[in-house]
Amino acid sequence: MSVSRRNLLKSTVGLALLAGPAALPFRAMAAGKIDVGVLFSNTGGLSIVEKSLAAATLMAIEEINAKGGVLGQTINPIVEDGASDPKTYNEKASKLVIQDRVVSVFGCYTSASRKAVLPVFERRKGLLFYPTFYEGSECSKNVVYTGAAPNQQLSNFIPWIVKTLGKKKFFIVGSNYVYPREMAKISKMLIEAQGAEWVADEYLELGHSEWGAMVGKIKNSGADVVLSNVVGDSLIAFYREFRNQGLKQETLPICATVTSEIEIAAMGAEYAAGSYTSFPYFQAIESEANKSFVERYRAYVNDPKAVTHHAMESAYFQVYLWKQAVEAAGETGVDAIRTAVAGQSFDAPNGKVTIDPDNLHCYLTPRIAQWQADGQGKIVDAFPEPVRPLPYVAYGETAENLICTAKGVDSAKL
Amino acid sequence: MMRSNDRRLEILAYGSFIIAVLVIPLLADVFWLNRIAKYLVFGMLGVAVALSWGYAGVLNLGQGLFFGMGAYMMAMSLKLQSPASVQPDGALLPDFMVWNAAPGASQHLCCISPGSWLWIPFQSQGFGIAMALMLPMLCSFLLGSSIFRLRISGVFVSIITLALVLLARLLLIDAQPLTNGFNGLTDLGWLTIGGYEFDPYAVATYYLVAVAVIVVLLATRFLVATRAGLILQATRDDANRARYLGFNVAAYQVFFFSVSGLIAGMAGMLYVIASEFASPTFLDLSFSISMVIWAAVGGRNSLLGACIGAILINVIEATASESPMLSEAWKAIIGLIFILVVLYLPRGLTGLARDIAARLGERPATSPKEQTQ
Amino acid sequence: MADILFIGLSLGSILLLIALGLSIIYGTMGVINMAHGELAMIGAYTAVLAGKYLGIGLIGSIPLGFLVAAVLGLVIERLVIRRLYRRIMDTLLATWGIAILLQQAIRLQFGLSFFGINIDGLGPGLQSVSVPAFLRDPVRLGDFVLQPYRSFIIVMTLILTGVTWLLLYRSAWGIQIRAIMRNPEMAAACGIDVRRVGALIFAFGSGLAGVAGVLLAGLKTVSPDMGASLVVDGFLVVVVGGVGSLVGTLISAGLLGQISGIFASVFNDIAARAVVLAVVIAVIMWRPSGLFNFKGR
Repeated sequence: MSVSRRNLLKSTVGLALLAGPAALPFRAMAAGKIDVGVLFSNTGGLSIVEKSLAAATLMAIEEINAKGGVLGQTINPIVEDGASDPKTYNEKASKLVIQDRVVSVFGCYTSASRKAVLPVFERRKGLLFYPTFYEGSECSKNVVYTGAAPNQQLSNFIPWIVKTLGKKKFFIVGSNYVYPREMAKISKMLIEAQGAEWVADEYLELGHSEWGAMVGKIKNSGADVVLSNVVGDSLIAFYREFRNQGLKQETLPICATVTSEIEIAAMGAEYAAGSYTSFPYFQAIESEANKSFVERYRAYVNDPKAVTHHAMESAYFQVYLWKQAVEAAGETGVDAIRTAVAGQSFDAPNGKVTIDPDNLHCYLTPRIAQWQADGQGKIVDAFPEPVRPLPYVAYGETAENLICTAKGVDSAKL
Repeated sequence: MMRSNDRRLEILAYGSFIIAVLVIPLLADVFWLNRIAKYLVFGMLGVAVALSWGYAGVLNLGQGLFFGMGAYMMAMSLKLQSPASVQPDGALLPDFMVWNAAPGASQHLCCISPGSWLWIPFQSQGFGIAMALMLPMLCSFLLGSSIFRLRISGVFVSIITLALVLLARLLLIDAQPLTNGFNGLTDLGWLTIGGYEFDPYAVATYYLVAVAVIVVLLATRFLVATRAGLILQATRDDANRARYLGFNVAAYQVFFFSVSGLIAGMAGMLYVIASEFASPTFLDLSFSISMVIWAAVGGRNSLLGACIGAILINVIEATASESPMLSEAWKAIIGLIFILVVLYLPRGLTGLARDIAARLGERPATSPKEQTQ
Repeated sequence: MADILFIGLSLGSILLLIALGLSIIYGTMGVINMAHGELAMIGAYTAVLAGKYLGIGLIGSIPLGFLVAAVLGLVIERLVIRRLYRRIMDTLLATWGIAILLQQAIRLQFGLSFFGINIDGLGPGLQSVSVPAFLRDPVRLGDFVLQPYRSFIIVMTLILTGVTWLLLYRSAWGIQIRAIMRNPEMAAACGIDVRRVGALIFAFGSGLAGVAGVLLAGLKTVSPDMGASLVVDGFLVVVVGGVGSLVGTLISAGLLGQISGIFASVFNDIAARAVVLAVVIAVIMWRPSGLFNFKGR
């Protein structure tokens, strides 16, 4: 009876296919282990940067485990691949939070991926440690933000460009998405407050690498400084085209908020030499803590030429902040860790970092570096002390008048 | 005899799939329930592709456009349901619009940014659902009308749809004050029907998706068997012959193309309900091509096959990327599967299943049961 | 104004560079090669590795890039494409799979990364190739600034187009190719070895992609994903130009390049991209088989 055989075959295949994954058991919480999630892209276009963030996170976990772990337990990282796709990020975050029931997740690089995982963390009670500098305007109680807030990149940078470099006419250029547009908005406020002017505010499609027309516009704009919020490999093509069209960093410097050691190494240092970037961390920071960090990282990834950069350093120290919070809380509940992480301080490679108890962002020390011919930044300006993070600086937030507080965002002030 | 056997086989295949989909909540935990709900949505996309590719004979490389439309229409109305959209003065205004507004703009949905009034009707969730279904259908109807009336066919349809989805993605990202650009719409409320909130991880939401998929499967299966469906297939096989026979070929093609758009839009709508966000990456070319490949793996000429193919590929991707051994290599494995399926299984898994079943059936009759028949 | 035209010319030459190989492969064999961008990526990595290990500069890498990509193309043709003749949509899917596979091969350093072996120049990171000194610094001609490297790409593209033209219209081989373009069955009946010619065409087209990759390496970043966006633009050019028409491809690349350059300079790059896509859609709607189409099929 051929019919019944075929049916049997089909239906069993169908059932096995659908029931297979469902039959997987819950991950048992092994005694003596604390599960944490590590969620970055190991594949896809963003893996270039995100792999280094994952490596830094895993290195910190390994270091902590080697020294006895947390609360006498070892940290067990569960690594998932976001595949540079918000859909995958969303799915993997819900796996980590709901199925694996991890204590916290260290992860996400782009804002798009963070926005895609936010509902999981907020509605399913998870805690995300997010290491990237970003555009602000977010006040989640389920995220600890350890990268720079906009004020930590711009509030010192723009006045410095106007006063120290003596530049008066800004050409603002960025990739077409939220971070560059928000940074441009804040920059304009600061530029106008300094009595300087901006002549253009232009955007290019994300990932676009054809800069001929845009650099031509910069050349004809009469600007004396370029403020770049361009991201990814797009910015490499930008610096190259800039030089190819005969523009000189000495007379028309590019001042950037995103360009880091990783892109400088990729474009060839000669293209960026003389330009500036504002970040709280540079590989060139002259401190024993940082030199040891760079060495340990190079040994960890087994690459003597590996570079370190801002988001990566945050990915590293935020694991230590988390560890201190867990120890202070004495337990691993999300609420307990959130309460305990507020006000935690740690001596990171870039100096002292502290989690702001109000907005769960991080006190960091703004620095400005000028890129040299060897691909390293020479730090030309640094704040004397860490600066309070102000995620809502675009709406007039100041250290005295917070918009994002422990109670949530005070939207009456927006 | 043979035809009735085929028919019974098909009924049983559909029946067992439907039963499997319905009993999953008894076996799966919360996480897998939500994950399978998302994959069922992808299965629905497989059906949409099979309908336009396998039956209408046009390879739409821009199916993501209709998926994205459904997703954004739903997400817009859910965004306005979210507490994050309630301003201190009680007015409804999505949070990102406040951030993206020009300084000094009016703080009302009508005029905070050019075009923001388009959001006003989305305060009604019913409007969001209606738009999520109607807009993709309308757009695919318009697109289909121009393509088929101009008798554009084959690879040229693919190129038009491809260019269209790229164009839509570009404009969607550029309209940041209206769409939140590259970050997409997040922080959404839950779908609420008659006071019941559809928590994405609840069994009710799973059943919402499951029933939708089953209805779509059965309805499309019914449609392709109607006279219209048969004319469509005749057109696919030889458009001119069908024309000479006096059929208004374009009308049938446009109809099925629109149904395909409607299904993709519905899939987008359900995906937003299950995943709580909408993103311009839904309009990525790679996502649209993935859908085609799901259908190819399952069997492009079989609606159920394409649906199962989509689910299967996604389960493989998930398990491969989550196993520590394969976490680096899983994409290469997926690439290899595509090549092998195209080379050796041109009719996909459905073809394989049919061949195996046929071979088993061809063996000399030995089983007593068969002799009694 | 000269500036803007130069930018358009440069954009057009890059489009043509990508589309050239696609055009003859698609025109002759009807194969939609989605891995074309990845073959260009392989060419770019050839230049990176040649620079690192053999000390060969960018210009010296051009024949090498051609050779490596052509051999790889021959392998792909033997293993996959050969089995898919006359299944046009299936070639699209299979070559998409190949594209994913090639990207991962570079990213995982051909699997060596699993054994902890790292090859400098491969892997997921960004690579770059430096441009020879004499092509680096801009030349001022009055108000107009001539960029030597972009000019070099324009010249190279014209040379490659000329070579392809000679091959198609002035060689014995070209007669066979054109016969196959018009009617493969009839060509086979006349004793043309369709498969052999097809394999050589695929290898030649792949080689052109390799050269494009080497040249682009001097302008853009080299990374495993660099090919993905190239192939789409290439296809738009081929389809707008008309299948199997070298002249059509040349004109459509020039046209789309100029539109893109003018709109990017006068408005912005996003508008330029939108206009190009809209023009492509309009042209296909207006003339479904492209601006130039000599095919009698």
